Amino acid sequence: MSSLETVKIIVDAENEASKLLNDAKTKALEIRRQVDSMIIADREKRLSKARKEAELQLQRTEAEAKAEAARIKEDSMEKTKRDLQKAFSARQAAEKALFDIIMGEIVV
Amino acid sequence: MRSLSETSKFTEDILTVAKEKACQIIEQAEQERQRILENASAAISREENDIVRNAQTEAEGIKRREISEVLHRAKLFEQSEKDKILASVLEGVKTRLREFAEDQNAYFGYLTKLTVDAIRQLGMDMANIHLTSDDLKRIDSAKFAEEISKLVSPITVEVAKDPIEASGGVIVTSKNGKIRIVNTLDQRFEALEPKMLIEAGRILFSGK
Repeated sequence: MSSLETVKIIVDAENEASKLLNDAKTKALEIRRQVDSMIIADREKRLSKARKEAELQLQRTEAEAKAEAARIKEDSMEKTKRDLQKAFSARQAAEKALFDIIMGEIVV
Repeated sequence: MRSLSETSKFTEDILTVAKEKACQIIEQAEQERQRILENASAAISREENDIVRNAQTEAEGIKRREISEVLHRAKLFEQSEKDKILASVLEGVKTRLREFAEDQNAYFGYLTKLTVDAIRQLGMDMANIHLTSDDLKRIDSAKFAEEISKLVSPITVEVAKDPIEASGGVIVTSKNGKIRIVNTLDQRFEALEPKMLIEAGRILFSGK
């Protein structure tokens, strides 16, 4: 083999090595570039899911609160109604007791 | 001059080193990608947690407000209805007092007590008794003054001709009118109202 051929083979090999390295760098750059878009897509997907869950939770809680409020209102109205009926039936007794207070305070 | 085999070995070495280097470059990039993804995932998890936690806080707030408003409205309604019953009871007491003042047999004994009580509070030798127009019409003033005088002797009393505005009861004044003891039914009602409200509340709403 002549010297010229030897040099050519070596230069070719070096070129090929250089190409391998360049390809690797390009691929590495591509990998890094993909990371950003992957993160953006993942973030958007996960946060969108979290927002939907949050919205559902709000709606659920709001419905629960309304139901509980309605139950409390009903219980409260029932209790008030019972108390007022009881108070109403004690009205005459109260009137008499108060009248007696007015009458009974005189010490002669 | 190199032989063919030497040249081949040399170029193989060059390519092997280049391949190894290329692998390292890609491996580093992969590792970096993995680290960035893990960090990003942790950050996104924090954001997700924030969203869920904020929603929970907001939901709890909504629930608290809703229930608190209902309880508040229920309390106001209950209080308003209780006030109505209390007011009707107090009105009933006033009616009883008016009816009592019209019942001569029961009322005159009480009027006498009110008058004697007022004269004793006045603590003077002479006193004027002021009655309502109804009482002035129904009562023999001279006889009433005489009755009272006997009970509070040796004090001299006179019944004034000018009527007072009241449902019943009496106002006793000193002779010069400067000192007044008000013992009308209305004044007694007013003075005893706080005590009556407590008693009414106990009877009507305490559940005892």
